[in-house]
Order: sequence, then C-alpha cells, then structure tokens
Amino acid sequence: MPRPSRPTNNQGGPPAIAVKDCTVAYGANVVLEGISFEIAQGQVAAVIGPNGSGKTTLIKAILGLIPVRSGEIRVFGKHFHAVRDLVGYAPQRFDFDRSFPITVGEFMNLARHPHSPASRVAEKIKEVGLAAQTVRVQLGTLSGGQLQRVLIAQAILNNPQILILDEPASGIDIAGEATFQELIAHLNQEYGTTVLMISHDIAMVSRLVDNVICVNRQMLCYGPPKEALTARKIDELFGPAVELYEHPGHKRGDRAHGHEHGQRTDHEL
Amino acid sequence: MIMEMFSFAFMQRAFVAGALLAVLLAALGIFVTLRKMAFFGDGIAHSSLAGIAIAVLAGAAPLPVALAWAVGVALIIFWLERSTKLASDTLIGILFTASMALGVIMMSFTHGYQPELVTYLFGSILAIQSSDLTIIAVMTAVIAAWLALSFRGLIYMSLAKENAVVAGVPVNIQTAILYVALAAATVLGVKILGIILISALLVLPSAAALMLVSSFRGYLAAALAIAELMVLTGLTASYLYDLPSGATIIVVGTLLFFLAAVVSRLRPAAG
Repeated sequence: MPRPSRPTNNQGGPPAIAVKDCTVAYGANVVLEGISFEIAQGQVAAVIGPNGSGKTTLIKAILGLIPVRSGEIRVFGKHFHAVRDLVGYAPQRFDFDRSFPITVGEFMNLARHPHSPASRVAEKIKEVGLAAQTVRVQLGTLSGGQLQRVLIAQAILNNPQILILDEPASGIDIAGEATFQELIAHLNQEYGTTVLMISHDIAMVSRLVDNVICVNRQMLCYGPPKEALTARKIDELFGPAVELYEHPGHKRGDRAHGHEHGQRTDHEL
Repeated sequence: MIMEMFSFAFMQRAFVAGALLAVLLAALGIFVTLRKMAFFGDGIAHSSLAGIAIAVLAGAAPLPVALAWAVGVALIIFWLERSTKLASDTLIGILFTASMALGVIMMSFTHGYQPELVTYLFGSILAIQSSDLTIIAVMTAVIAAWLALSFRGLIYMSLAKENAVVAGVPVNIQTAILYVALAAATVLGVKILGIILISALLVLPSAAALMLVSSFRGYLAAALAIAELMVLTGLTASYLYDLPSGATIIVVGTLLFFLAAVVSRLRPAAG
C-alpha cells in the first residue's frame, strides 16, 4: 500500500483533527454526546475531564478503535484509516505478561515502518531520556515510568505528523515529566507535530497547550486554556474541591507545579 | 540400531512428520503462551474426535474430516468470543465437551474394536501413511508461509492489540487465521501424539524456552530447538524401547522443561 504523502503544516490545509457532533455509545450507555472541535495542524491540544468522563473513549474514536454512533471524525480531512501512517499513539495502560521475552529494541521494531532506518529505534529511545543500551533490556524488567517512556518512543518512532497520547505522564517521575514536556515542545516547535493528549495535570496543560478540550460525557469547554479554563468550568468539571491559583513567574515549558484533581491544588493559569 | 530404524519406511515418515510438526507447533505455541490460550489446543484436539467418528462411520479418511471439523470448531469459538460476553476458556470447554460427546455417540454406532480410534486417542508412529505425510507437508508449508509473512504483526497484536490496530494490523482477520492454523496444526499432530497428548507439544517447548531467554529472537530459536529435540529424541526412544510414541515424546519434553527450569535457576537469563 503506498504511504500517504505527508501534509505540510500550513494554515490553508485541513485541520489535523476535526470532530463534528460526535456521539459514542456502548450499547444503551451513551459515553460521549455531541462532541465537536477542531485541532489545527501544528497545534498542541489536551483533553481534560474527571475519571469516567469519556476522555479515552474520545481518543479511541479518533483512532478508529471505537465506532461513532453519529457524527464524523476526520484526520487531515480523511478517515483515520487512510492516514494512519501519519499518526503515533501511546496508550494509557499497557498490560502485558512481564515474563514474555522481548527486548525494548524488538518491541520498538514491531511498530517500525519498513522504510524507517533501524538506527531510528536507539535514536528515539535517547530522545525520551532513556539510555541507548535500554534497547537490549527485556521489556518486562522496566519500571512503570521507563515503560511509559518506551511507549512514547514507539509512538514517535516513525516521525508522525500527529501524536496522540493517553495520559502520557502517568507513572513518570518529576524529572521524567520535565523531559516529557520538553519533548512535546521540541516535537511541536521543531517538526510542527500536532499533539493531542489526555492529561489530569491542569497546571501542565495551562502552560503547554494551545487549546484545551474539557469533556464530561458532553463538551464543557474548548479553546485556549486562559479562556476556556475558567474557575466556573473547573468547578463544573471537577467539583468545588479543585481551585485555581495564579502563579506568577511561570511560562510555557516550565516545570509543573501542583497537579492532580480531587483535592485543593494550586493550578496556575 | 539407529541406522536400522531409518531403514523402515514408517519410521522415515514418522521422523519427517515429527520434524515438520515440531517446527509448526512450537512456532504457534509462542502465541498460545503469549495469549494464554493453552486450553485452546487441548479443546480443539479433543473436539476432533467427532470428525474422526464421522469419517469412521462414513468410511472416509479420518485426517481430512477431522481437520475440517476442528477448523469449524475454531471458527465457532472465534465467532462466539466476539458475539457473547463469555470467556474464551468457557466457550472452549462447552464446545470441546459437546464435540467429544457427539464423537462418543457416533462411535457407539460402530461395532467391535476400532483401531483407528485408539490410534487417534494415544498416537502411533505406525499410523503415518504417505497420504497423511503429504497433507502434513502441504499444510505445514502453507501455515509456515503465513507465519513468516505475518509474524511481526501477530506478535504486535498479541502484545499490544490497540497499538497494532492503530498501526494497521488486520487484527480480527489475523486472529481468525491464527485460530484456524492452530486447529489445523493440532489435528495434524494427533496421529503421532494422540488427542490426549498433542497440546503438550504446543505448550512445553515455548514454556521451557521462556525460562531460558530474554529476547524474542532467542525465544523463537530456543522453542524450535527444544521442540525438535523433544520429538526426535522421543521418536527414537519410542522405537528403541518399544514405547508408545506420543507418551514418550511428552515425557522427553517434560524432562527438557524441568532441565530448563534448573538451568534458569543456575544462571541469569540471557538472550
């Protein structure tokens, strides 16, 4: 099958991701209803919302893993299957038999396109902050944080135009989180990679992303964090236990401060 | 004595069939271990009894009928897994006992001693006919070609299904083909190892290899080597000491499994 041509990052092109009036249901249980948003090429966007709000379902619908009941999802103006080679994906959870004998390098190679050089594997492993020799380590012996980095390395292995990450920083320590944020900023600024991620870290979202999509079965807000993430919206999303505080002196790319919802936190805006 | 063994045509056929089946079942056994579906091989082998009974009653060749029956059962399991909320093991348990029950009822319509049935239950090196060897060789070539073409995708979908789907691996089609290949390979091995013992050839080599290596390349090589050692040593011992072939192969395989367990305790895993 011929590889689709790489769309250029320009203002006139179709949106990287366009979700139009989408409803997703498991049988009678409607998980998402009337979701609409667009992510322009080269933007960084985040989906936020409480547990069970349908964030992962939304990501899976975009990736064609779950059918939509109604509405339409387009990636670069096409159905996902036509442009899958341009998309990298790292899931939230990766449950596997840790005794299974496969090295990090072999696992990475499972996703490598035939036209990508073999040297790319070690290159991406280093890019996510792991030592080059990690490629020879058995996958099942990695810590949760290291495994998460390997998943991100695998997602960027084929230099995707769109990177979709489901809670990419979960299990990563503070140093790893900083590396991850730098990596996202680097991919976005250097290669124009469009990034869509799910995050619970509102502080990080506020600094790192161009647009935020607030979801709790329905779409509650969409737009730049400063405009979309009002105290009222945060309250509507997470309840009164989460409040927002202005932290002067931090800008995009800085380390995260408070994060996690469910208790009083000092999310900066 | 060893040279004398190869002067018999039935032993030559048994060794060729055994060597082919060892490669096939060991390679497929990797997916059985990875996907935790050891019961699948056991269930399919037992369910093939109904196919053998149909062939015996109809006076047809048992192997092709048993193959067709087992493939049918595998596809029904595949379909039920996707259309019910029941676990795979539950479905296999239901279908394999139902199929065996059907086989037992049909066997009750035949009269007298059924040597064919005893052969299929426990396996026999005398049982491999030239026509069986042809079927085994052709099926092995077809399944091996599919495995060679799909191996990376099969590993990817068995390890990280969602990522494999996103990467374009046709997971549903490949899973159905894997079930069919497993069913066919299991039934092909029934003549040597028997319905009761064949699933051990799916499980033992990959389980023993799992304890010795840390890379996938090493895993595949070790599983194939252990399977060949198990089958060829077992067949030789079976001839030399006049022992039942299937049972001897499994005893050798079990000894290799425990040897691997001891070796893995004595040294750190290596690729």
